Amino acid sequence: MNNYKNRLPYESPCDSDNDWTESSEDSKCSDSESSVPEWDSDVAEDGELTYIKIKPGVEVSDDNHTALLDNCDTFKLRTDFKRSSTRRSTKGRIFKALKSKKARNKGINAAKKKDSEENNKIVVIQVSKSMIFTSDKNCQIEKLFGISLETHKDGKTLVVADFLPEAKPIYTPTVKLGYYLTKLNGIDVNTYNINNLLQRVIEDVENPRLMFQVVSEGLNIDIEKLLKSAPENSVTHILKESLCSILYICCNDVEFQNNDDKGVLYCYPRPLNNNFLYNTRGAYITLNHLAPKSLGTSEPLVSTLLHNSTLVNVAYKSHNGDLMLIAMPNSAIDVFCVKRIIQDIVRMLEFLYGSLKTCFTKQKNVDKLDGLFCRIFATLLFGNKRSGNFQEVIGAHAVSLPLEVKIQVDDAITELEAADYREWTDDVENFQRMYTVIGACLFYSGHLLCSHLQDNDLIEITSYLKLNGILQLSVQKDIEKLVLWREVYINEHRNQNKYCHEYRIPDGRWFLLIVGKGNFILATLMEAGGCTEDAIGVTPPSPFYVEECESCVELLFDVGLDRYLSAWFKSNTQPQLQLSPEKLTKQGRKKDISLKSDIIRSATLKLSKSQLDIKRRHNSSEHINTVDIQSAHSTSHHNLYSQWYSNKYRHSSVDVSYSEDSGSLKSTSEISDDRIMGRRADREQKSRRESSGSDSDWDKQDGSRSSNIDVSDIRKSLLSELDKVTVHRVTAGEENVLFHYINIESERGILLAPVSSVESGALYSYILNTFRTACKRIHELLQHGISFKKNHTPSVNKMLVGVKEHGLLFDVPHEVLNECGVKKYQEPYSFWVIGRVISEPEPRELYVCYHDSVPQDLTEIAYLLSYAG
Amino acid sequence: MSVIVIAVGTDSGVPIFSRKRGNCDNVQFSTIASLHGINMFSKCHNLTIMKTQVDNGSILWKEYCKSVTLIGIVTGGLECDLELLLLYVHNLMVFCIGKKELENLKNIDQIKRELRQCYPILDCLLEAVDPNCVSQTCMFLDLIQSMLCPQAQQLQQVLDSYSERVTGRWACLSIHGHIVATSTDFYELDSVEAKLLMLLAASQDGAPLRETPIYLPQMSPNVAFRAVTCKLLADVYVLVICGATPPLSEIDEIVLQCWENSALIIKEAKLVHPRNFPLSITFEPCILGILIVNIPKKRCVFSRHLAGNQKGKSMSSPHRIDVLRTFFVTTARDLAPELQIKEDDKECGRSQCVPSEAYWCSEYHKWHARRTADLMTCVLYAPTVPIHTVRLLTNQILQEISTSKEVYW
Repeated sequence: MNNYKNRLPYESPCDSDNDWTESSEDSKCSDSESSVPEWDSDVAEDGELTYIKIKPGVEVSDDNHTALLDNCDTFKLRTDFKRSSTRRSTKGRIFKALKSKKARNKGINAAKKKDSEENNKIVVIQVSKSMIFTSDKNCQIEKLFGISLETHKDGKTLVVADFLPEAKPIYTPTVKLGYYLTKLNGIDVNTYNINNLLQRVIEDVENPRLMFQVVSEGLNIDIEKLLKSAPENSVTHILKESLCSILYICCNDVEFQNNDDKGVLYCYPRPLNNNFLYNTRGAYITLNHLAPKSLGTSEPLVSTLLHNSTLVNVAYKSHNGDLMLIAMPNSAIDVFCVKRIIQDIVRMLEFLYGSLKTCFTKQKNVDKLDGLFCRIFATLLFGNKRSGNFQEVIGAHAVSLPLEVKIQVDDAITELEAADYREWTDDVENFQRMYTVIGACLFYSGHLLCSHLQDNDLIEITSYLKLNGILQLSVQKDIEKLVLWREVYINEHRNQNKYCHEYRIPDGRWFLLIVGKGNFILATLMEAGGCTEDAIGVTPPSPFYVEECESCVELLFDVGLDRYLSAWFKSNTQPQLQLSPEKLTKQGRKKDISLKSDIIRSATLKLSKSQLDIKRRHNSSEHINTVDIQSAHSTSHHNLYSQWYSNKYRHSSVDVSYSEDSGSLKSTSEISDDRIMGRRADREQKSRRESSGSDSDWDKQDGSRSSNIDVSDIRKSLLSELDKVTVHRVTAGEENVLFHYINIESERGILLAPVSSVESGALYSYILNTFRTACKRIHELLQHGISFKKNHTPSVNKMLVGVKEHGLLFDVPHEVLNECGVKKYQEPYSFWVIGRVISEPEPRELYVCYHDSVPQDLTEIAYLLSYAG
Repeated sequence: MSVIVIAVGTDSGVPIFSRKRGNCDNVQFSTIASLHGINMFSKCHNLTIMKTQVDNGSILWKEYCKSVTLIGIVTGGLECDLELLLLYVHNLMVFCIGKKELENLKNIDQIKRELRQCYPILDCLLEAVDPNCVSQTCMFLDLIQSMLCPQAQQLQQVLDSYSERVTGRWACLSIHGHIVATSTDFYELDSVEAKLLMLLAASQDGAPLRETPIYLPQMSPNVAFRAVTCKLLADVYVLVICGATPPLSEIDEIVLQCWENSALIIKEAKLVHPRNFPLSITFEPCILGILIVNIPKKRCVFSRHLAGNQKGKSMSSPHRIDVLRTFFVTTARDLAPELQIKEDDKECGRSQCVPSEAYWCSEYHKWHARRTADLMTCVLYAPTVPIHTVRLLTNQILQEISTSKEVYW
């Protein structure tokens, strides 16, 4: 802690104390009101943070005012040269705010939650003024509308509790119990203003109009809500009904005796005696003991049960004599998936808590675990219809990006990891960092774009993001701001006693920081200890690092990557899939010649140099420049920026703009038009580099130069490049016959597959569903060989070990063909699903699905696929 | 690999028998009790444990006739066949002692004694899940091994007249444990019954003439029939199911009268073994083994001696059966959903997509299975043959088998 002084040498002397609360009294911090991060009040006592803000219902366009102001906030911080000093005090503020704001906190959250539900359906009912209902309670609402209301848990919303018998025909079936009454004659209504409004209704001559918000419980589980607060009883109830359950039993004799619940350390959903898993735990415990000891088999993995005519799968996980059981209905999660999901859950719990035992024995952890498992089950069951899918449970779904885009993304993250904070402080030598970024991974809309993490860490972080529904949230909603902060126990640290490594990892602590915006999720793994400062005690997130991550994501927005990706995801190019299978004839030709529009365009993708340059970050001058230019181009968005800047930062912006050479701006516009100009610009850069003396000089020049390029121009160029991208085809034959593929690198926990949004037509979805089911079968078979190669265990069935390729040919049934209007088409329509293990250079599995017409060579497809990116 | 089958009285919990195969210890009484206890306990909670997966294996409880619980534990074998195995074990118990006695389970000691006679057949069934054991008599649990010979039609006439003479209804002729010919109405019998009869004949190897009381699990689970096996030549048996009359001595004479003139035909038919296919059907040299399944009749023909007199190369041939059997059980059986055990509570989702062809590739072999109408072929190829050639060849074989006039199922 003494390092504080060294780290922040320009801190005012009175602030050099290492106590945060004291520092908060420093006068400085009161000036920097705006530097208090908006999430500071959400930091929990143990330092963990979950802050989510979703853009309300309608897609927010760029020139939206609220979004803009937020941007300004961050911008201000980033350009503030003395930011570190404010940051220091910010920390103190968080602490203080924590104490005072605790109580207020919840109300704010509830209000925010309501906003996000706006996209729910609305029902409007008009009640005749002449109708007066008889109310026993002499209640005004009942008299006027024939309904009785109750207050929602948030203390504000009005919920329909009952209908009077006479009024029932008016409301049912459109309005159901539990709906929210949102508006009365177009005015928002809540518990506070209901009486006033009713008075107005009485005075009004018009027939009153009631607007209800449809609340479809159960199927409309809000992950955002689940992430933030403890699970509601209704959700827990639904999970119990659908036979989801988790149980952690300690089978150790001593503890067994001491425990009130006969060894059960954790159970969800509760109450205990209503939980079928709890009631029948004896069977699983016995079996778990018996199988390895008396039957000579391994410990049981999964049991399939029939409970009240529902098939349920119970997965087992033994841990030092303790037993964890997880039950999920077979209809949503089959045996194949449940085996993998329990592995994921175990990995995630170990990642979060160090070990299963500490997870379930940690003090005051029950509420957190309730929330966690509620999220897990809700995400798996209701969140995504595809959660029982083959590719969902196998690994992180990566997408192949064009090399140029990949470089940009990599670069942005590398800079984050590099932790080059020279612009924050002149005294680099004495600056001890709080954390080392040991890796980061970036997701867009649930797809992994880039990972700089160790394989194990990536697998664990992906499990965390998936099971908590964060990835799903990023797919479904447009996130305005998401910040999550957790202490984690990385794999290396957990296993360092087991194996003797050549090098030892420091005896530190690790933290996971997740930052989200739009559809991006950036997860950063940070290390405290070793060369960085030791983290002692409760460690709340550091605003500095949160901002670093945020600005990293921000940068991707600046480059226009979000738009590029959404176009890229829809583009179906790398490699191209055949999405209209009904057009293929038996010979593998298209039936309709006019539909040949999607033939390969053979232009190559060459990104203009400008793109490569724009990704520089952390160079404060660059930011200012960018903004400067933005102000020249007038969209309302940029205008506001410039206004803002001209107020406060005119000085600096003017400075920099003078330092630019006027010609470069001109060349920028030419770059986007003419590629040769781009090259010339490149040459110019080169010569400049050669002429420049020191490295640091060059850096600065480069930064200022790149900033000359207009961001919006780059966006355009990125997007326009998209149709010049080579359409990549991996199958042989005249027409594209590839329907789907999955390329799994199980060691790395990554799979490559077409973006999940592309799906069309009855025939195509039939093919896809068949493919997914078949993949499970093929995968199970291929595992014999893979696990043999990995562990060299004497396998029991020698033949299965040798199998490296397995193919299945399916015929599409006539019903499906008829449905797609392929009636005349009497010849059978068949397609292959083939899986293959490729063990060199690194083990991977490839699954492809293609039309039967053209025989394909899997090795060749694998080869072509690996060059797709 | 190990497989254990335990039978327990459902209500009493009395162990009826326990048989094992492979490298596992004998199951202790306490273990049996615990296993049974798990099932009973969960039943009290309105819960049925259908199946439990372990590494490379599974544990299964099955209750039959509401009186007997069969517990099966298999590791490292063809574990997907465990359910089928238990079904056959149960049928075997009915086959031996009748359904009524099994339901009542009154005199349990006597039942234990009576069941002891079916142990040889039981062990045969266990062999079928051991991938490393090439059982001559029971390669597949649910398929009856057959031979395709041109003489089958002639032999059927003889069988018909023979079964008529002994006032029996169903008769069949087996050579080396393979069905060669059957009486006309033999297919009234359920495939399970036919299979058990074949196993019975095989287990009574050596005896020239023998009668055994049997119950037909589907046809007549409560009234016993008499199965009479008679050895005609070495490895050639004729089996007939008939009532209490005529006595064995009389049957001996009838056999002589009926079969005396057919000796030559039988000898000719015997020559078809071990190729098991008529010589008119030829195969490419790259084909290492072949398995043809007649799906509705649940009969299969297997051959690994395809290229005539190639005996010098037959070094790995038992392995080929093995390899092909594993392929069939693990994958190719999915091509014929009819062969799967029908159960109401099973997810029907799987039947939605039934493949019509399947193949495996390894460094040493290529397997290919294809189904057309009632016939399924599984062929083992040399690894060098490319997949499109493989498909072509399999198709040719299927064509040839289904059109050949010498093939008589």
